[in-house]
Amino acid sequence: MPSEELTEGSTTGASSVRYAGATKRYGDSAVAAVDQLTLEVPAGEICVLVGPSGCGKTTAMRMVNRTVEMTEGDILIGEQSVRDRNPAQLRREIGYVIQQIGLFPHRTIGENVAAVPALLGWKKDRTAARTTELLELVGLDPGLGDRYPAQLSGGQQQRVGVARALAADPLVMLMDEPFGAIDPINRERLQNEFLRLQAEIGKTVLFVTHDIDEAIKMGDRIAIMREGGKVAQYATPAELLMAPADEFVEDFVGADRALKRLALMRVADIDLWEAPLAYVGQATAEVRAKLAEPDVEVPYPLLVDSERRPLGWLSERDLAADVVPGRPDSPLGPLLDRDDIMRDALADLLQGEAQFAAVVDADGRIDGVLSVEIISEFLSSPRAKTEEHGAVERPHG
Amino acid sequence: MVSPALTAAVGEVGKGFIQERTSETLPCQATDKLFCFDWAKEHIDRYATPTLQHLELVVLSVLIGFAIAFALSLLAHRHAWLRPPLLAGTGILYTIPSIAFFFLLLPITGRGSETAIIALSAYTLQIIYRNTMTGLANVPDSVKDAGRGMGLTERQILWKVELPLATPEIVAGLRIATVSTVAIATLAVFAGGGGLGTQIYGGGNLNFATSIIIAGGIAILMALAFDVILLVGQRLATPWRRAVSG
Repeated sequence: MPSEELTEGSTTGASSVRYAGATKRYGDSAVAAVDQLTLEVPAGEICVLVGPSGCGKTTAMRMVNRTVEMTEGDILIGEQSVRDRNPAQLRREIGYVIQQIGLFPHRTIGENVAAVPALLGWKKDRTAARTTELLELVGLDPGLGDRYPAQLSGGQQQRVGVARALAADPLVMLMDEPFGAIDPINRERLQNEFLRLQAEIGKTVLFVTHDIDEAIKMGDRIAIMREGGKVAQYATPAELLMAPADEFVEDFVGADRALKRLALMRVADIDLWEAPLAYVGQATAEVRAKLAEPDVEVPYPLLVDSERRPLGWLSERDLAADVVPGRPDSPLGPLLDRDDIMRDALADLLQGEAQFAAVVDADGRIDGVLSVEIISEFLSSPRAKTEEHGAVERPHG
Repeated sequence: MVSPALTAAVGEVGKGFIQERTSETLPCQATDKLFCFDWAKEHIDRYATPTLQHLELVVLSVLIGFAIAFALSLLAHRHAWLRPPLLAGTGILYTIPSIAFFFLLLPITGRGSETAIIALSAYTLQIIYRNTMTGLANVPDSVKDAGRGMGLTERQILWKVELPLATPEIVAGLRIATVSTVAIATLAVFAGGGGLGTQIYGGGNLNFATSIIIAGGIAILMALAFDVILLVGQRLATPWRRAVSG
C-alpha cells in the first residue's frame, strides 16, 4: 500500500458527530421518519446505522449534511450545529459516498476526484497532486485519471467514489450502503480496503447498511434502528452480540450471533491448549511420559523441529519406535496463525476434519493448539457473555 | 408530386405575394425533359441569393426557436406545473399548417422574412423543448444526489451536471428542428420571405421540373450539411460518449 506516500493532508482532522434529539417528520405524518435521535459518534470512529428498510437510517445520515432537513433537534459536528451552516458549504466539508456511486459520467476520473477541490477554488497543482495521491490511496493507478467513469468496473468506480469523498479532507464521511451494489467478492475486498484506509486516515464515518454482517465488520459502534426511526441499541459490535438489548435486536442480529462473535475475535484472544511436544530424535519414552501426565490437554504429541516449528502429529505407531522419527505418521493438518480471525480458524478446523490445529506465532513457532471443543466451550462460557474481547481490531494492513 | 389542382390553388392564393414572377420563356419545357442541363448551366447563378436567404431564414429561426425553447425548458425544469401547458402550447403551434400560419401572421407582421422567421421559429419550439426536457429527465438521480451531497449549488448542478449530460438529446432536437426548418422554409416564399422557395414556386409553373430539382437539391444538401455540422459539434462536446463506445 502506498501509505508511505501519504502527506499530512490525508490524515488531519476528524470531528465528533452528536445527534441531539434530531427528528424528521414528513408533512403531518404521525410517525416520524427519525424520532428524537440522540447519539454521539466519537471523532475518528465508524458508526454504522443498521436496520430494516424504512427504519430511517438513511434519513438519519442525510440530516448530517442537510440533504434532508431535520424538523426538530440538532446535530453538532464538533461543537458546531449544522443548522448554522450554509448547506452547500457544509457539504463540501463532509465526504459523501452513495450506493449508486453517482460519479459524473461526463467528467474524467481525475475531474471527479477533484470536484470538491474545484468548488473550493484550489490551485491547479495542489488539486493535481491531491488527485494522484487519492487515487493511489484507494488502490487505483493514477493513470486512470484521464478515463471516464463508464470505462471502469463497478469496484473501481466505487474506489473513485471514496477518493472523491476524501478529496478535500472532510471532517466527517457519510457512506450510504457504499458497497451494496458490488458483487460479494469485490465487496469484501472494498470493505477490507476501506478499513485499512480508515486505520490510516481516522475519519469519523457514518455508515448506513441493512446488512448486519457488514455492520459488525465495519463498525466501531453500531446503532441498530427500528421502524419509526428509533435506536434500538447503540453499542460496540461485541456488546451487541453478547448482550442484545431486546428481542428486536436479538432477532436482527440473528440466531447465529454466537458464530458472528467469532468474526470479532482472533485466535490469540482465546486460551489455547498445550500439546505435548516431541522433537526429532528424542526418546519416545520421554514423550510417552509426558502423555501420561494427568493434566494433559491434547492426547497426541506434536512433532516440532529444533526451532519449535510444528511438523506433524505422532501416532501410536510412531511412539512404538525407540526414537521420534523425522517424518511423523499423521500430517500436520490445518496450521493456524495467532492473528487469524476465529471464524476462519473454525472453518479451517471443520474443513480439515481435524480435531486439533496447531497455532503458530509470526515466526512460525508453536504457540498452542486450538480445537473445536475450545471454541464451543468459549461460546457457552459466562466469560464470553460478559467479557469484551477487544478484538474488534482491523484486519492488519 | 404536386397535383395541378394544388398548383392552381397555390397560384391563386399566392397571387400578390409571390415576389418573383418570371415571364421568360422556358425552352426546356417544350422538350418535356425532366432535367435540362443547358438551362441549369446558364442559370445557376440565380440560385445564389435565394440560397443565402434560405440559410439566413434557417439559422435565425433555429437560433430564436432554440433560445425560446431552451429558456422554457429551464423554467419547466424548475417549476413542474409549467410542463403540461408548455407541452400543449408548443404542440398546438407545431400542428398549425405552415401556409395557414403565414396567412394568419400576414395581417399582423406583414410580408417579409420576419413573418417567415416567426412561423419557422414557432415550429422548432416543440421539438427542442421536448428533447431538452427528455435530456434533463434522463440525468440519473444518483449523479444529482452525489453532486448535491458534495456541495454543488442547484445552479451548479443545472449548468455543470444536468445540461452537459443532456447535451446529446438537446442536439438531437436541434438536428431534427434544423432539418425540418430547411424544408419548411421553402414555403417562406408565401410570406414574402424569399429563400429557395422562390425558385420552386416562383416560376409559377410547377411543370418545369429543372428549377424545382435544383432548388430542392440545394435544400437537401443544406439540410445534410447542418445535420453533419451539428452531429460533429455534439461529438466534440460530449467526449465521454465516444470514450465509452471506443
